Amino acid sequence: MVAVEEICDDEWAEWYRLTPQERWDRSQALWPTFLALGGTLDAEPDTQSPFFDADTWRPVPVDGRPGVRVLRRSGI
Amino acid sequence: MGGQACVFYGAAEFSRDTDLAILSSADNLERFRAALAGLDAESIAVPPFQAEYLHRGHALHFRCHHPEAAGLRIDVMSAMRGVAPFDVLWARRTTIQTTDGDQYELLSLADLVQAKKTQRDKDWPMLRRLVEADYLQYRPHPTPGQLTFWLKQLRTPVLLVEVAVRRPDFAADVARERPLLALAVAGNQAAVEGALALEEAAEREADRRYWQPLRAELESLRHARP
Repeated sequence: MVAVEEICDDEWAEWYRLTPQERWDRSQALWPTFLALGGTLDAEPDTQSPFFDADTWRPVPVDGRPGVRVLRRSGI
Repeated sequence: MGGQACVFYGAAEFSRDTDLAILSSADNLERFRAALAGLDAESIAVPPFQAEYLHRGHALHFRCHHPEAAGLRIDVMSAMRGVAPFDVLWARRTTIQTTDGDQYELLSLADLVQAKKTQRDKDWPMLRRLVEADYLQYRPHPTPGQLTFWLKQLRTPVLLVEVAVRRPDFAADVARERPLLALAVAGNQAAVEGALALEEAAEREADRRYWQPLRAELESLRHARP
């Protein structure tokens, strides 16, 4: 039999080994963090969608909600 | 029927919108309208919220303004290309209950896979992952239905060859509607890969053709918008 690792990397293999319920729970657990970090619920534009309408998309700052800002940035 | 269903079945998508398949009966649309009101949702794009558009395969689009769902986008469809009618989808749906008691109704895996055969790039890797995950989970003791499903839908050449070589009897049956299985039974992985690419291109073209008149209709509705 083809091993899981032959068709994907370790991260995917681990994801596949979870039960559907575990995958659901892990995905749900991301939401509070995503929102706490300033993530927005507004979906990204899907320009390949047959019903994409540029007029309905509102650009938002790339770092999430307007209230999120960089407080300190290290130099390169 | 969107990102969360994909997560449940084994793909991974951090989708921020909510995609719903609904019954477009008058009663149900009234219930749906009331639910939208509870979310302070507004229609954000053509077509308008009318049953006729759902029946013809259009999607309706809403954005919520309720503080607990601010900005959340909801897309609703009732009829999809190549996908069974809603009553069939409902009869074979998957129902899940979370630990906090919430219940969700998901498209069955087979219906979700069918719904993902679109013209969009992002749907195809997702589709492959969905069937891979199902195959890897159930391949030790498959049912005849699962064997048929994998032979019809697997998009991972090495796995398609594996199942076709192990069950040539099933592969011969399904090959009548998916000719590339003859290549899989012969163990020709490179040829299977090429045939899968052609299969994908044909589906994407079919989806573009399906949407052509609908897109034209949307365009005229946009132009007529005040």
